[in-house]
Amino acid sequence: MSSALNLSHEPVTKIRNGKLVMWAFLGSELMFFAGFFGTFIVLRNSNYATFGEGSAQLSWQLALVNTFILIGSSLTMALSIYHLERHNNRLFRLFMGLTILGGFGFLIVKYFEYSAKFQHGLFPGQEHHTLFFSFYFLMTGFHGIHVIAGIIPMMYMFFRSFAKGGYPHPGKVETLGLYCHFVDLMWIFIFPDAVAGAAAHH
Amino acid sequence: MSDDHGNIIAAYMKVFYALCGFTVLTVAAAKWMHFPESWGTTGDVAHVGIGIVIAVMKVVMVMYVFMHLKFDQPLLRFFVIVPVFLFFVMSFALNFLEKWTYTR
Repeated sequence: MSSALNLSHEPVTKIRNGKLVMWAFLGSELMFFAGFFGTFIVLRNSNYATFGEGSAQLSWQLALVNTFILIGSSLTMALSIYHLERHNNRLFRLFMGLTILGGFGFLIVKYFEYSAKFQHGLFPGQEHHTLFFSFYFLMTGFHGIHVIAGIIPMMYMFFRSFAKGGYPHPGKVETLGLYCHFVDLMWIFIFPDAVAGAAAHH
Repeated sequence: MSDDHGNIIAAYMKVFYALCGFTVLTVAAAKWMHFPESWGTTGDVAHVGIGIVIAVMKVVMVMYVFMHLKFDQPLLRFFVIVPVFLFFVMSFALNFLEKWTYTR
């Protein structure tokens, strides 16, 4: 009664099923973020003053720190996949651990950034900069949710790697890596949209 | 195997350094590149435009090397190009349509 089906690779494309599905998912995620970016650009171009004043309230220094954290964690994620594929569980664990730390570091910086905004009354529903900060919190908030969603399976893989034989599924780590790099890509686009104005006005 | 090892790690490191460099360039362009007052809002658009051009270069590097499109089956690139193309169309076409509608 054992099934002879092997679903590890799509038979026509020769691409691993998990990877293909993740790329399809990332395609749908791109459409999701495209709605935000499209609306942001249209409203920004028709409200230069409002968006200029709003972005001047942002800290480009903190955004720069977060960008370096995400770029670094992209590198460590790629290195963790590389080492797991070569059965080096110790280095996989090291780089996966650094990637998780990068994710938490990003969220901590975001916490301080959000706290400062709330303390200064800069959030949607206030008298000033409401339009800009609606977008700011929506885009960075959704991005933050994506970071959290990436950290959870990474932690599972990290702790599972302590078991005898290490983490046994390099393909799954590679698939998760695609997601993590995608989260980095979205930040790469949010960074100039929101932060270029902040640096220019300071 | 050692050649392959060296090549991939070297490619990762090159992309990492390039991403860091481009990030600094984005901030430097916004902070120190000043456009004439007479340009008005065009200067602001130019700042964001430069940032987006740099972002596109960063994205291509991440997708090609970190996300392994360079090393994967070529077919996968076609699978990826469609949503990426639609992303840019959806992000920017709305703006051009709006501009075109209100400047006629």
